[in-house]
Amino acid sequence: MNNARLNATFAALADPTRRAIIQRLTRGEASVLELAKPFDMSQPAISKHLKVLERAGLISRGRDAQRRPCRLIGKPLRESTEWLERYRDFWESSFDALDGVLEELKKKEKRR
Amino acid sequence: MSKLKVSLEGSTDVVMVREFDAPIRLVRQAMTTPELITQWLGGVRATVVSAKVDLRVGGAFRYLFRRHDGVEFAISGVYREVGEARLAHTERMEGMPGEALVTTTFTERDGKTVMQLVMRFASADVRDAVVGTGMADGAGESYDSLEHLLAQGRQV
Repeated sequence: MNNARLNATFAALADPTRRAIIQRLTRGEASVLELAKPFDMSQPAISKHLKVLERAGLISRGRDAQRRPCRLIGKPLRESTEWLERYRDFWESSFDALDGVLEELKKKEKRR
Repeated sequence: MSKLKVSLEGSTDVVMVREFDAPIRLVRQAMTTPELITQWLGGVRATVVSAKVDLRVGGAFRYLFRRHDGVEFAISGVYREVGEARLAHTERMEGMPGEALVTTTFTERDGKTVMQLVMRFASADVRDAVVGTGMADGAGESYDSLEHLLAQGRQV
């Protein structure tokens, strides 16, 4: 995942309303009206949040012009935990190789 | 059990701890000598195409890597501290935002060296943008449960 997208994902998730929307969508798709209900918010305000989530690639919206149901896209969220995994994996592999280099250096010193 | 410990500390740091079966002198040498760096850095994940190290305060370093899929990337920075048991340098992945200050501390005991590497980002926001975790209070929890749900394949 590139940094720009990671940025967008985390900016999108920095807001508690948007996190609540995401949470709600883990139970299945919902319309703007349905999403607005539990929040003390106008439909346009919710729509604004949905746009941010959509731009971040976290949700997609149906084509049905009336209802335009929102649904969750899981991939960006999963990818965003991957940085640490990749970082760890990279360094683990590097340091395992470094162990070998250090053994060689120790042997060389002994020979001297 | 993995020998490498990686953790998020505070709101700005990523910390790694690893023990090596060699004295500080050799660990430091292997980590700062270009001909040695190319032998281990990247492990089986990437090859170091070139390594340049100007090991003095204000001196620059640059590692050019090539992954197995052919993609190249570079990490570069400037040394801020050059001590026997402590090194500090700025570091960034070229072409990416988010410079970090990396401080490496070595502690030797019975011929073994414990290395602690602290990667400190300029702010919590920068770290979170780069690392993609360590979200603001409360976010972690909802994120975890969401991850849990997604892991169960319940996403639509």
